[in-house]
Amino acid sequence: MIRCEHLCKVYHGVPAVDDLCLEVPEGEVFGLLGPNGAGKSTTILMLTGLIEPTSGACYIDDLEVATHPIEVKKKIGYMPEDVGFYPTLTAEENLEYSAKLYGMGKERKERIKELLALVGLEGVTKEVGGFSKGMRQRLGIAKALINHPKAIILDEPTANLDPQGVADYRRIIRHVADQGTTVLVSSHILSEVSKVCTSAGILAHGKLVAHGTWDELARIGGDEKVVIHIETRTPMPDLQSPALVAAEFAENRHRARIVATVDIRDELADTLAEAGVAIRSLEAEHPDIEDVFLSYYHTTEEAA
Amino acid sequence: MRTGILRIIAGKELRDQIRSKRFRTLFAILLIIAVAGLIDGAFSYQESLENYNEMLVAASEGETDLSYNYYEGKPSVLEAFNRIGYLLSTVAAVLGIAMGFDLITAEKESKSLKILLSHPIYRDEVITGKALGGAGAIALAMAIVIVLAVAVLLIFGVVPSFEETVRVLIFGGLSFLMVFSFFILALFFSTAAKDSGSALVLTLVLFVTLSAVTMLVISGPAITFLIGDPPEPPGSSYSYSFSTGPNSITSVSSSVSGDSSQEFDQEEYQEKMEEYRQESNAYWERRMAITDTFTLLSPDQNYQRLAFAVTEPGLEAARQHQGENAPIDLMTEPRDGLSTFFGLLGGLSQRIIALFVFPAAFFGLAWVKFAREDIR
Repeated sequence: MIRCEHLCKVYHGVPAVDDLCLEVPEGEVFGLLGPNGAGKSTTILMLTGLIEPTSGACYIDDLEVATHPIEVKKKIGYMPEDVGFYPTLTAEENLEYSAKLYGMGKERKERIKELLALVGLEGVTKEVGGFSKGMRQRLGIAKALINHPKAIILDEPTANLDPQGVADYRRIIRHVADQGTTVLVSSHILSEVSKVCTSAGILAHGKLVAHGTWDELARIGGDEKVVIHIETRTPMPDLQSPALVAAEFAENRHRARIVATVDIRDELADTLAEAGVAIRSLEAEHPDIEDVFLSYYHTTEEAA
Repeated sequence: MRTGILRIIAGKELRDQIRSKRFRTLFAILLIIAVAGLIDGAFSYQESLENYNEMLVAASEGETDLSYNYYEGKPSVLEAFNRIGYLLSTVAAVLGIAMGFDLITAEKESKSLKILLSHPIYRDEVITGKALGGAGAIALAMAIVIVLAVAVLLIFGVVPSFEETVRVLIFGGLSFLMVFSFFILALFFSTAAKDSGSALVLTLVLFVTLSAVTMLVISGPAITFLIGDPPEPPGSSYSYSFSTGPNSITSVSSSVSGDSSQEFDQEEYQEKMEEYRQESNAYWERRMAITDTFTLLSPDQNYQRLAFAVTEPGLEAARQHQGENAPIDLMTEPRDGLSTFFGLLGGLSQRIIALFVFPAAFFGLAWVKFAREDIR
């Protein structure tokens, strides 16, 4: 549904997006992760037809965005990070204007009513100028959905939401995804993306450094290395295994931190048992997902 | 461009303009000034009419010769409009600037531009729709001013003739073009500036510069500095005066004071005088050309000149004939009728064109700038 082919965007000689290749299948809820300045918003601006790529191309539903901007815009819903509306109009009037620009007929009245209820803004009659950031964000989600889009693209959708707003946002995304809509969410908040997205791509310095399901990302990000902590009642002998990468001993060899390419807990237990060492604890350390993602960023920074 | 989308954008802009406090406040001031000017003008018109009638009576009794009063034709209700022309040129220009300076910058500041452009619309539809919406609001404002003006005249018992009605409508059209020119100028700066404050400052700077430069140019010393002093007549003391405003009539006067102690060869003197006349004509024509060229850049100067022609066609005719060596045939020169009036406007075609070209040029610039705007 969403596809980028060697997408590049250069500002004043500096690449904001660098040879990005990405594919988001239909019905997927995809998270575009990356620190500030990674190129997420620039990628989204190209996907929504607001800026043109320096080179490469992006496609929505097999339509190239740069050459078919109007057709593409009809198929997508978009909420920018700094979402803004006409301050002197009410939420309903803003959506009404939006619906007219999408060429919607009289059915727009019903759609607006339905969406305002969905985002919790029904019955709010004050002008948008008096809205909190969170309310504007909710209205932004409603606007992104007004034209029954095949794909919605949300840039930092929870940036200004309170906990209730975040919960509502997750509910809305799940509701939309259940209806088969493709969703692309850009964020630098991993926990938010991980709660709604089925897969993700990690962007750093304009490059896609990794992508896949959460399990795939965690495995690749952890370099498939396993850290095992051992505590024994008597000192440990030297440990040998083809999978062993490193072993650090402490407290007079009563404690050890083992790094291996695979989980060798059973092998270690057998070795220690053969050596007559009584084991107090033997644990594999599961990599923290935040650490995994930080390692992606750091790796890219070092490479840069 | 699709008319349906244009209608939606223009309709929203028109509604926004009419609902804005800024527009309403300035429009209210404009109305008050226009009505006050017209009431004053209506009194003045009635006075002029009485004088004219008295003159007619005097002429019929053989006490005065009407044919010498070329500039004193029958008073027209349009003289009342002449009074508001000057006021309109300033207040309405401010109205136009106030309506346009934040059309795009406000979208950037409220962060609604990205949302707007994410709709299936082209950028040229956005900028054209905004310009059309503003034009609609200005047209509405001008229509209300004109209708109210005519209503004030009717209250005073002044009923415009068909020709005067046409001239009133043309006056309204010119006023629209002048306000629209400044609206589009402000719209351009709204696309070029980073924020509304900068856009307003830049627009006002250009507005003041255009007005100041043209005023400087049409004032005598600036042109004298550029092209030098006028030629002096042979063996004479010489004095001249010139206009300081677009509606004044330039006049040159020279006097030859005979010096009894100096004897002139009559033939040589005639030759020198002829030479002087030619040089003098060339000089004043050049001076006029420079003034006209510079003032063409200023919509309010163009407007004032055209509004003057519409409201005071007699004086405008005299103005257009000055500098012609051939005397005006006062008895045969047509002084009434729309054809004469349109002939007069034809003499000002450059200014009419300039009044169209100014907004067209700045709209073109705004269009290009907005189309190439980098959205981030």
